[in-house]
Amino acid sequence: MLLNGVRTAALARSQRGGSNETECAMTVSMRESVQLVSDPRNLDSSVEEVFHLMLGVDCTRDNCSTVQEDESVTAVVGFGGVLSGACVFRSGAHAAMRIAAQMTGMEFASVDDTVKDAIGEIGNMLAGAWKGKVPNLAANCGLSVPAVITGRDYNLHVQAPEFQLHHVYRFGDAFFEVTIVCDGLQ
Amino acid sequence: MRETRTLIVDDSSVMRKIVERSLRQAGLDPLVVHEAGSGTEGLEVLKKQSVDLILSDINMPSMDGLEFLRQIRAQNLAPGVPVVMITTESSEEHVKQAILSGAQGYIRKPFTAEQVKERVLPLLSAA
Repeated sequence: MLLNGVRTAALARSQRGGSNETECAMTVSMRESVQLVSDPRNLDSSVEEVFHLMLGVDCTRDNCSTVQEDESVTAVVGFGGVLSGACVFRSGAHAAMRIAAQMTGMEFASVDDTVKDAIGEIGNMLAGAWKGKVPNLAANCGLSVPAVITGRDYNLHVQAPEFQLHHVYRFGDAFFEVTIVCDGLQ
Repeated sequence: MRETRTLIVDDSSVMRKIVERSLRQAGLDPLVVHEAGSGTEGLEVLKKQSVDLILSDINMPSMDGLEFLRQIRAQNLAPGVPVVMITTESSEEHVKQAILSGAQGYIRKPFTAEQVKERVLPLLSAA
């Protein structure tokens, strides 16, 4: 339900500027460039770029399969247009507070509104950087505003995605994961 | 030295602070900052305050940055004041839309203070 909402918003944004002619041409080229769109290196370089420029830290990809912490913070940014799906950032509370502290220069003892805001922006920038790696995607795929979810013991499920990228990263002792879910590619 | 009165429009308070910090690092000091969380709030600020520079996000709820720009021009608010868009959207089409809507500059998120300096200072000098 949440994903449907963010995707609808992203689709509406993508449709504001595009002409039917352009969209028709894109229908062919996006399907043909699925290998480029799903290239995992695009996700790694997007994460490196966002964390280096906005936080001044270097991230490394980690081998663990998922972030395991009781309390987690998730930011979801929907894609709409020639690609539909979402960029999902997820970390434990500790990493979320570290990221927010690095962005703002403030210290945090809990996941407050500023931390959620910071994580939402991280999700937004990751989604924008990732789609910006493929010019046709950058121009014809809209982003929703971020939705941030906090809590314990929840999972995000997407049925039969077209493709999915899921990477775990670390900076210092903080871990986070970024997932790109594509459930429709025109 | 005269202060630079700046309006920063972004639905993220964290991003507003980061933009403000980048402006200070770019050498804009003294700096007076007015903040708005949406285009609608930004228009209200401009009806009450004179500013020398406007920086706005595009992707915002209620009124997005492009509509905010159009409304500034339509209502003749802040005439001659440079507007710089700061956004995750980076395609040529988005840049073109922003320029057609009245923006003078465009900064893509994520950004560095140096990029802010390069885009903003020449606009202030020209204005």
